[in-house]
Formats: sequence, C-alpha cells, structure tokens
Amino acid sequence: MIITILKKDLRLYFSDKKGILVTFLLPIIMITLFAFAFGGVGKKKSAPKPLGVLVVDKDATTTSQELIAKLNAMQTIRLITSEEESALDLVRKGKNVAALVFEKGFADAVTAETDLPIELKYDAARELQMRIVHTVLKEGFKYHLGKRDVINTVKLKTTSLIKESSTKAHPGLVQAVGGTAIMMLLFSIAAIGGGLLDEKEAGTLKRLLIAPVKPLHILLAKMGTAMVVSILQLTAMFVFAWLAFGLPIFMDVFSLVLLILCISFAVSSFGVFLVSTVKTRQQLQGMSTIIIILMSAIGGSMIPISMMPAFMQKIAVISVNYWGIEGFFDIFWRQLPLIDILPKMGILLAIGLGMTMVSTLLFKKNIIAIE
Amino acid sequence: MIQVQNLSKSFQNIQAVNDISFTIKKGEIFGLLGPNGAGKSTTLNMMSTILTSDAGSIHIDGKNSFENSKECKHLIGVVPQEISLYEDLSAYQNLLFWGDLYGIPSKKLKEKIHSTLELIGLLDRKNDLIKTYSGGMKRRINIAAALLHNPKVLFMDEPTVGIDPQSRNHIFEVIETLNAQGMTIVYTTHYMEEVERLCDRIAIIDSGKIIAQGTQSQLQELVQTKESVQLEFEFLSENNVNQLRESLSYTMIQNNNKLLVESTIKELSKVITACNELQLSIKDIQLNKVNLEAIFLNLTGKQLRD
Repeated sequence: MIITILKKDLRLYFSDKKGILVTFLLPIIMITLFAFAFGGVGKKKSAPKPLGVLVVDKDATTTSQELIAKLNAMQTIRLITSEEESALDLVRKGKNVAALVFEKGFADAVTAETDLPIELKYDAARELQMRIVHTVLKEGFKYHLGKRDVINTVKLKTTSLIKESSTKAHPGLVQAVGGTAIMMLLFSIAAIGGGLLDEKEAGTLKRLLIAPVKPLHILLAKMGTAMVVSILQLTAMFVFAWLAFGLPIFMDVFSLVLLILCISFAVSSFGVFLVSTVKTRQQLQGMSTIIIILMSAIGGSMIPISMMPAFMQKIAVISVNYWGIEGFFDIFWRQLPLIDILPKMGILLAIGLGMTMVSTLLFKKNIIAIE
Repeated sequence: MIQVQNLSKSFQNIQAVNDISFTIKKGEIFGLLGPNGAGKSTTLNMMSTILTSDAGSIHIDGKNSFENSKECKHLIGVVPQEISLYEDLSAYQNLLFWGDLYGIPSKKLKEKIHSTLELIGLLDRKNDLIKTYSGGMKRRINIAAALLHNPKVLFMDEPTVGIDPQSRNHIFEVIETLNAQGMTIVYTTHYMEEVERLCDRIAIIDSGKIIAQGTQSQLQELVQTKESVQLEFEFLSENNVNQLRESLSYTMIQNNNKLLVESTIKELSKVITACNELQLSIKDIQLNKVNLEAIFLNLTGKQLRD
C-alpha cells in the first residue's frame, strides 16, 4: 500500500516540470554561483582579472616610475595612473578599490632609507579586495625595494576615504539591509502580481474586461498596488534597520525617498512583467522563485558584488538588485550627493519602463485572452 | 434590439461558432440552448464585446458592438458563468466597486445598490463577506453586479449552475421581474427546463451552429411525434436495436442501454411486446411528452447533457 501511494506521489511530482526545475536546476545554478564567488572555481585554468588600483605619482621621479612599472607587472593588481583628485573621487564612488599615492620625496626617502611617503587610500566597503591589494603591495615593495622589510620597517599607510562615524552606516549593514530588502520585496511583488492570475481564474478579470475599463488600466492599477506596497515595505524595513541597528536613514532623506520610489517602480514593473509571461498561478510560482533567487544572487543581495568574479560583476548590472544596492551604498556609505546617485535611479526607472512596455504586450497575449 | 449576423469564431483549429445569425426583440427573453462546448459562451463573449469575431457582426440597439464597444458596454449587463466577485469583500463593497467602474455618481449608485439588493432579497446580508454566502446567494449577487448601471440588455451565462432548486426559483423570479420591467434578456443554459420556463424564443446551438430557432411551439413542430417512450434495459446491443427497428416502424435513438422510441403512449404495448420477443430485460419505462430535450435529441441524435 505504501509503495502504491509512493509511486503515485512520485508520478505526480515528476509530471510537474516547474517543480522539477525548482528542485534540481535552481540548486545547481546557486551552487555554481557560490562556487564562483567563494570556491575558487575557474581560477585554476586562467588567472583572475587583476584588481584595478589607481596610482597617483606626485614624486614623478625615475625611482617612483620604475617601482610603479615593476608593481604593475604583478598579476594580481593593475595600476592605473591618475590625477589625485579624480583618483580619490573614483574610490569614493566605489569605482576602484583603492588609490596608491606616492608623495613628493619618495625617491629621496628610498635613498635615505627613511619612512616612505606612500599612502593607500581605499574604499572600506570593499574590505576583502582591499586586503588583497594591501598584501600584494607590501610584498611588491619588499621584493622590489631590495632588502627592505616592508612589513616591519616600511609603513604603508592606509586610509579609508570614507570614515565610519556616528553619521555613517557600516558597509556590512548597508549590504545586509539593502540586499535583503530588495530580494524580499521581489517575492512580495511577484505574489501581488499573481493576483492578476487569481482574478483570471476567479472570473473577476473577465468581468473587469466586460466593464468599460481599458485592459492597460487594469495592468497599471495592479502595478500601482504593487508600487504602494513596495514603498511601504521598503520604508518599514529601513525604519526597522534604523531602530534596531542604528542605520542613519535621516542622513539624506530626500535621496533615500527618491531611491525607494525608483526601486519600487522597477520592482513593481518586474512583478507585472513576471505575471505577464505566464498563464497560470502554478507557472508563476515556479518561474518567479527561479528568477528572483537567480537575480538576487547575481545582483548582490546574497553575496556582495565585490566578492564575485569579474564576469559575474558584469552580469550583475542586468538586475534590479544591483542598482538598488549600489544606490543604498551611495547614500549610506559613500555619502554621494544626489546628482551622483541620479544615474543609478535613472537606470532603475529605465528598467521599470522597459518591463512595463513588454508587460503591456504580453498582458494582452497571455492574461486577457478570452476563449 | 440585437441582430447577430453570420457570426463566426474559431480558436486554432476548432470552429467554436460557425456562421450563426439570430435576432432578439426588445423586451423578450431569448434562450441559447445547447450542450457544453456547443458555442454558447463564445457567442455570449462576442456579444459582451470581450471577444472579437472572425466574421460577421453584432448590433446592439442599432450599434455595431465591435466598432462601438465602449457605448455597447453601457447598454449591456453580463452575468458570467463564474462567480465573478471578490470573496473577501462584502456584497455591498463588491457592488460599490463594480458600479463605480461604470462611472455612476456615488449617491445614485448607493440608491441603486439598495434597490438591487432588495430585488434579489439580500439587503439584510449586504455587509457580510461574499465568502460567507451560500452558492445560491453568491449567484444572486453575481446577477446584482450586472444590473447597477441599468443595462437595456442582460446576458446571463448559465446563471444557475450548481445551486439548489430553491435558489434557482428565486433567480427565475428575479429574471421574470426584470423582464416585466422591460429588460431584454439573453439566457444561455443546457437545462431545457429553464428555457421552457423562461424563454419566449429559443435558439438551439450545437457544434457552433444554430440548428433550430423559434418559439417553443414552433420548435415542437419540427418533431413529428409529440410523444415518446424511453426504455432502459439491463443490456442493449446495437443488434437488438436493429432487430427492434425491423419489427417496429418508429424512429429510435439509442444511448447506451437506453432507447428513445418516438411512439405514442397508446402504442406502448406494441413496443413492450417487441422487446419481450427479443428477451430484452426492461429496467425502467418513461413516457415523455415532446420537450426541448426530445427536440434536441431528434435534431442532433445527442442528448443535451452528453
């Protein structure tokens, strides 16, 4: 009897293709992503892409230039010559992990064997990468400057360009709150979008279509509902993070509100887009789980972007999560002015607009088609 | 009031509606009778302006419904086959929502909701959630939601599916009241008793085609024999039916172990004798006056609920 019931259950289980995808394909994809991020996979066959470190040579002597050339020959880092102002700006904006500054008098200090006037200015939000850069540079100095024991005698001064203070959030907290908030929001919104399919199954959608209501208005109304819920959910999460963990949400309220609006728009349109691509609740359930987890994984909600291999960092830009999390870093960690955050908001709006347009077409084809 | 001309609709390779035409007069109850899958709902969906046709036209109160769908939506009320209501809202909240979509001014809408709830006998339950209602009560609210904008025509797609006889009677009374007030009603069903009770004229639809239309008496004229005998046997083979056909001159339609014999009741003894000669064991005998079921059977060779 047990075997009979078991056989029936297995038959039913394997007849659900979406269920099989969630059970087998999704974990495989997740394992692959995490293996690339943490497991050193892909590093044996080819060397990892070197970390870009900006270099400002204020000494401009043969000694400093020769050392820069030698350091640049190392495989792990790639030195990019830059002016001090733009170098520090790029690090502050999270574009590069650090800037190595050779102060005037470097060559003299090498000759006189005194403390070297060099400083590594870095973005503390990219702590893991910074540790690699710091270690590699110290080894480089030790090797290329002859017998000098850099670790013990040469001070490679390191300075975080963005200091943690009572008015700033810890980058880990920004990552945790921002990443989780967007991922959970995607799940909530997919469920709200699924309401359209419930209406289709219940027959209320048909009644809406019979009434003098344009199909596009039905779609936009559902998106509006999703957007209101998104705004409330994100706001609640940030208020909680403020109350429980001291996230300074009042640091730049205007930018935060604008970013929440942009994320809500993008996520709502994503929810409606998901719903428009399927015909039943069951299809939505399987597909949304796969897409949201995948998007959150590559977009930085589960693993900080800086820890991912270069190719994954490039893929990350297709996800709403990436632009949202980067926006939160800009506000809470980098403390950038609104003008510097606007491009990210613009991309979120563009993603939202694009998905809304596609949803409109698919909605007519998949959801409101009456037979 | 409504003119349907040469209407056709197919889905992929299935011809759901095939070149049908009929006219519905103002103030009449017009029945579309046919088995499941006959094309009734597809026809009604096209008349409700939510489905386009492959060919043909529909005119409602002189307006082409495909070209003037917005105007026509205000002329028609539709009672869908499904209970198209929000279960977690009260009856009143549902009606307020559906009425609001037609742009009815708030005060007028509230008055209309009150009178409609009174008509369907659910005024005292207006604040209860739909999910607490019985099937019959939900069906009544489903009808009420289609009446709020005072439509000239009411399309009802199998509005009594799955409800008890008492609720069904209540719905019939509502329909008769609405009709007495001058409302034109198009009623689809596969229950011939409903059509017989309610409809002034009937179109019988099967496999997307209208196979007959007219008043009940006009349809009865299509069948020569006005009475029939239905016999149910323990076992009935095709061979048995052929043997009966040889000995009796009546039209016979076999449906598994049942046999419809178009004979008068007076001639019943002849039929039984023939069966006895073939040693057929009769389980049950029903004597039928001709009805729409028999007409449908006669015209299509199928039963309405096949």
